[in-house]
Amino acid sequence: MKTFLQRPVHIMAFAVGLLSVVPAALAQDVTLKMWTLDNPGYPEFIAQAAEAFKKTHPDVTIEHQTFPGDAYKTSLPVALVGSDAPDVFFNWSGDAAKRLVRDGLALGITDAAMAKGGFGTELGAGLLDAFRYDGKLYGAAADAVSKYVFYNKDYFATNKIALPKTMAELAGVCKAVRAIDPDTVPMPLGNKTRWKAIHWMTMLNERVMGIDGTAADYDLARPADALFTDPGYAQAFDELLKLQDAGCFEEAPNATEYTVADAMFATQASPMEFCGTWCTAGLDAAGFTNYGFFRLPLVEGGKGDAGANFLVPEGFQVSSKTQHAKEAVEWISFLVSPEQGAKFAELTKFLPSNPKMIDSVPNATPQFREIVADMGTFTRGVNVLDVLLEASVADAYLNATVEVLNRTVTPAEAVAQIRQAALAAQAKLPAK
Amino acid sequence: MTDVTQQEPRSPRGRRDVLSGAMLLPALVLVGLFILAPAAYAIVGSFFEFTITSRNWVFVGFGNYARAAGDPVFWTALRNNAFLIVGSAITQVGLGTILAAILDRGVRRGNAIYRTIIFMPVVVSSIAVAFVWILILDPNVGPLNAIVKSLGFRPPKLGWLGDPQISLWMLLVIAAWQNVGFQMILVLAGLQSIPKELYEAAALDGARGFRAFRYITLPGIRNVLIVGTLITVVGGLKVFDLVFVTTGGGPANATQVLGTYSYLQAFRLGNMGYANAMSVVLLAIAVLFGWLQLRLSRKA
Repeated sequence: MKTFLQRPVHIMAFAVGLLSVVPAALAQDVTLKMWTLDNPGYPEFIAQAAEAFKKTHPDVTIEHQTFPGDAYKTSLPVALVGSDAPDVFFNWSGDAAKRLVRDGLALGITDAAMAKGGFGTELGAGLLDAFRYDGKLYGAAADAVSKYVFYNKDYFATNKIALPKTMAELAGVCKAVRAIDPDTVPMPLGNKTRWKAIHWMTMLNERVMGIDGTAADYDLARPADALFTDPGYAQAFDELLKLQDAGCFEEAPNATEYTVADAMFATQASPMEFCGTWCTAGLDAAGFTNYGFFRLPLVEGGKGDAGANFLVPEGFQVSSKTQHAKEAVEWISFLVSPEQGAKFAELTKFLPSNPKMIDSVPNATPQFREIVADMGTFTRGVNVLDVLLEASVADAYLNATVEVLNRTVTPAEAVAQIRQAALAAQAKLPAK
Repeated sequence: MTDVTQQEPRSPRGRRDVLSGAMLLPALVLVGLFILAPAAYAIVGSFFEFTITSRNWVFVGFGNYARAAGDPVFWTALRNNAFLIVGSAITQVGLGTILAAILDRGVRRGNAIYRTIIFMPVVVSSIAVAFVWILILDPNVGPLNAIVKSLGFRPPKLGWLGDPQISLWMLLVIAAWQNVGFQMILVLAGLQSIPKELYEAAALDGARGFRAFRYITLPGIRNVLIVGTLITVVGGLKVFDLVFVTTGGGPANATQVLGTYSYLQAFRLGNMGYANAMSVVLLAIAVLFGWLQLRLSRKA
């Protein structure tokens, strides 16, 4: 009588059975450590996504940590060079991401991203470019933020104020508001932490010189003798000063917290604010619903494109030190899937990079839907200067803008300061 | 020839030394790990150019120190540190001494309540103090502007923290508000340790008022004043959190101190070597003041 193992059919069946069991037995639990900002809704979004991800990846656990923006900017590089780096982390596109790529701390993930189910097959080319360096993908855009001039519809209707079409008309609106009540700040700025005014300069530079007119300066790619010499830079500062002269801003914008400026609009003490798409969450929370928005108007005679608007993609990158690159890319691909895009919009009120299912968001306000629709019509995105520029040039721009608003330097002197910083930064660039 | 293998029994003093050494060891290890090693790292790093994320350290010799010498913001930061040190010594130690004298001699009732109220800001975190003062000084919703306007004056056009000419003075005010209570308690303890009989004897000899203060009080609290001043000096040197939260070193670097400027260079602009060089300069100044403290204490 033949024993069990002497029968070839049994042996084969046993081997096949064994093969199907062994990988499951050998599969080890994977913990992906993820770092993000502490934006409202982020912990909830990641928590529900991690749970949903478990259905297809039962062996993967997500360990999520959040940080405030300022702390994040310093903690992330320190962690990435250390021994306990996060596997997946949030980052802004622009110089912040580029620096990590250059220093070998962000993993190139092109192949995995473009594989079936990878985020490369889901996101549009424009958004993929946000984290593309030297032709390789180093991250996935998760969302994009934009900025608009938000206005109080009731105030504008009651006082018969028309929406401005040019920057000169916007200054005219400020004068009209001051004429109604000199104590009303038409459009509070809140530049104590410097980034609010740099957002103005980001758009004013575009409105005066156009994206193509500034790109070579921003990349430090223009020859040294021509770097930041376009008179448009000083003109852009002049446009900011014209608004200040028209009484648009509060008296001491460099001493005013942005939160105070936000509160002035949300409580309807001020009828306008140039604010990010993230502001809608705050306005909803404050119970202010009757507001509209418009893009920053064009400068008369400028080279700006009405279709171009402020657009900063943010997303996720993978650490070059991760032991779980495959799972990390699968995780970020999952986060930017259409279903998770809708969840992202619902929980964070941010516009997801993948808005295919945005209509299914249950609690979206009319303004949120309008912003989503409007952002879909941008012809070009204008990335923000303090993220886009090399760090020392960005710092010089931030300081110069503060000084222009304080009237301690003229626009021409401010541009000279920026040019000096740009020349120093350009000199340090590796020779091509 | 002495037999080296044969050990003499340890004397009580020798045993005491070993025991002392053993007890000091944990502290020495901690000081070595968390103070000496990072200081040595900073000194070595100050001769290199590198970023926090780069693996390449480029030797630049004294390049970072030369850069500091030619950097106007470095000098602004150093000047601001000096301003805060001198200003804090005057406002905190001076005002603390006056308050202590008033509480020691002038206040008959409610002494403990006044003391508690004045001391209270000392136990509040600097970050919380900074945020409270940001609200007080806010040009739009802050109460200070409202008070100034109600008195018929015009508040500063660029704001208390937005005007480069005023913002540093405001930091001095905030630091004094927070720390004067500590100095007051220190001096008060010194004052109360002076025997009353000395004043009575001096009074019999005709020494009252300022003469009693000059010849009895001041020598009696001299040591306390030295310690208080040195604590203030060290506080002025290492100031970071208050400046970082209230002004961030602005407007346009006007309130940078070496701590915040080193942070900016290291973590925002990626110049770790340069930041190290500035830290070494700060360390050298701190060591100098430490040495002065030792000398003054010994003399006293």
